[in-house]
Amino acid sequence: MKKLEATIANLRKTFTDLGYITDEEVLTTVYLSLKLEKPLLIEGAPGVGKTELAKVLSQVFDTDLIRLQCYEGLDENKALYEWNYQRQLLKIQISKETACVEDLEQDLFSEEYLLERPLLKAIQSEKKVVLLIDEVDKTDEEFEAFLFEVLSDFQVSVPELGTIKARQIPMVVLTSNNERELSDGLKRRCIYLYLDYPTVDREIEIIRARIPDIGDKLSLEIAKAVSLIRSDQDIKKKPSIAETLDWGRALVTMEKDRLTKNAVDQTLNLLLKTKSDIDAFKSNIGAVRLEEYVRTEKS
Amino acid sequence: MKNYLEINVVRFIHLLRHAGIRIGSGEVIDALNALALLDLSDRDAVKAALKATLVKRPGEQPVFNKAFDVFFAPPEAKEKQSTEYRQKLDEHQQQLEQAGEELSFQGTALDLSDKEKTVYASIPDKDREKLLDYINKTSSGKNVEQHFKPLLESVVKGSLSYWRKSLRDELDLSDRPQTGDQDIDALVDAVGSTGEGGFGSLLEEDMQNIADKDLPRAQALIRKLARQMVARISRRYRQSKKHKQLDLRKSIRHNIRFGGTMFRLRYRSRRVQKPKLILLCDVSGSMARYASFVLQFIYGIHAVVGSIESFVFSEDLERVTESFEQGANFNATMLDVINRSSEWGRGTNLAASLRTLRSKHAHILTGNSYVLIVSDTKTMALDEAVREVSQLKRRVKDIIWLNTLPQQEWEHGKTVQTLKNVVRMYPCNTLSELEAVMRRKIII
Repeated sequence: MKKLEATIANLRKTFTDLGYITDEEVLTTVYLSLKLEKPLLIEGAPGVGKTELAKVLSQVFDTDLIRLQCYEGLDENKALYEWNYQRQLLKIQISKETACVEDLEQDLFSEEYLLERPLLKAIQSEKKVVLLIDEVDKTDEEFEAFLFEVLSDFQVSVPELGTIKARQIPMVVLTSNNERELSDGLKRRCIYLYLDYPTVDREIEIIRARIPDIGDKLSLEIAKAVSLIRSDQDIKKKPSIAETLDWGRALVTMEKDRLTKNAVDQTLNLLLKTKSDIDAFKSNIGAVRLEEYVRTEKS
Repeated sequence: MKNYLEINVVRFIHLLRHAGIRIGSGEVIDALNALALLDLSDRDAVKAALKATLVKRPGEQPVFNKAFDVFFAPPEAKEKQSTEYRQKLDEHQQQLEQAGEELSFQGTALDLSDKEKTVYASIPDKDREKLLDYINKTSSGKNVEQHFKPLLESVVKGSLSYWRKSLRDELDLSDRPQTGDQDIDALVDAVGSTGEGGFGSLLEEDMQNIADKDLPRAQALIRKLARQMVARISRRYRQSKKHKQLDLRKSIRHNIRFGGTMFRLRYRSRRVQKPKLILLCDVSGSMARYASFVLQFIYGIHAVVGSIESFVFSEDLERVTESFEQGANFNATMLDVINRSSEWGRGTNLAASLRTLRSKHAHILTGNSYVLIVSDTKTMALDEAVREVSQLKRRVKDIIWLNTLPQQEWEHGKTVQTLKNVVRMYPCNTLSELEAVMRRKIII
């Protein structure tokens, strides 16, 4: 495939082709991050399409997506590299009698025994890859410090092998749910993007792009309903875009072309997944009012 | 003009910094590099570029949007802003001068700060005349001597401080920005005078003044802060493979199954004990709301705390742990506690309360427990209270005092000064201060 030149117009076109509908601000920010070769830090509530953006980016440039999922307690061993200790041991056992000691030592710390973890893999890759560091706010501060060292120089040193430099600077996307504020140092090195839930109009576009069979009326009503539900303070887990789409697909499968009270009652659990949220919906909004709301109000 | 773009961007950043956004010089360079890649006539693109490179906290986005609109406004609008600002400054200066003339004692001006003069200029006409009348009478009566002046000053100051509190919402007592560049001053003023709405303002608001309609928002904010904190510290109590100290005994034992070859290593990790918290909340009079916020915060972080014992006190102490542990509606419980305590009367007696704690709940005072006192330090029998506090301090790991008085008022209070010598005291007047105290790792 021909290598795609990164311009805002190209990005807009390919993003739309791939069904990722977004606005100019997002496109400009992504473009800048690509051009300046700086990591892109995306923050926002769960389910607004942060991870999706990285995936789409890898499709746009037809390259691999290397994903580092962060969690509490993630350390360098799991993120960067680890010696295959078990294999080294086996090697020692096997060659106990035969091999010359010095050769063996040389051997044991060669790349053969190195377990590449996502960061090293991204740096060593021949192709320019997309490195997705997901939910970086889940790690602790130590790891964050280590991370921005890697991200600023794109080189790592393995004591036994020496320094490894990136062959290609990968496109780095970091995502955060903002559960913990990230350090200033990390933020400074990144281009920052705050993703919010889409507006009603944008969500209609998304729904239509992803569910081609859906009718105009239904997509409008779904978008309005979801936006109303998201604005309710008592609902803790706001419906994500993916859940909106699931809901839409379910309604299409049920051959509904309008949002009715019954349909809402039957399918609500696709949108709200905890009992307390469903209770909050029932007491604050209710299926009847939701139906009225999406019907009467003009958008 | 040469470097026109650079100068403008730097001036804009100057404005953002004055609006409280932290921007490093590396980010300035990023911003300029980013602009070089874009069509500068595309306003939205420029805005997106500056936002992406300079503003990295969700809470700062409204400020940025406002600043961008103000800074990159058409020249006419800018000119208007600048004139308005100059007018505002002149008016303020006039007010100050007038106040200085009026507030005098036998021809010499009273020694009042600019802020106090501003307050004076803002009080309703009728009340201002009353105050002025009082001053005139005092300074012109018989047997009036020069040394009455300090007395009059303190009376006037007292009255103004009353007005300052009651006019709090209308007054603009913030210091005028001083950047040395009048255009930027005007812009900073324009940015600053817009309400932000978001969580930012709630964080800095005196907890006592948080309106009832903002309570749900405040509670959501507390939950969020508490969750962030739990996420940050919970890891410390987990077993970890990261400690690189080998536990030889465990490793050998574990690897016997592999014939003694060290196949899986075991590491030593330190067990950290979770602290126990004993909360003493002053619920007399106006303290109730602070207590309710602190309690909510503490219960929000219960996952990283060993156990929480909570007490409320005013004239005496009462254990309320059970009411909160039942998981009943927090607000209802709190209301119940407060209503009960208001029956006790209005005074606070810390000494008596601490005595009750020592005699009736001695078993919870251990070397692993922290005592958190939430109070404005106003108590009867101060000396005795100090004695009790120092005695209590010997029994527990530490006492931390969360003082709900704004920090600038500390120097005036005798009780604050006295108690500060005995315990560690932190300001806890706003939610952000409450969070800062907890974050400082004093407890966890």
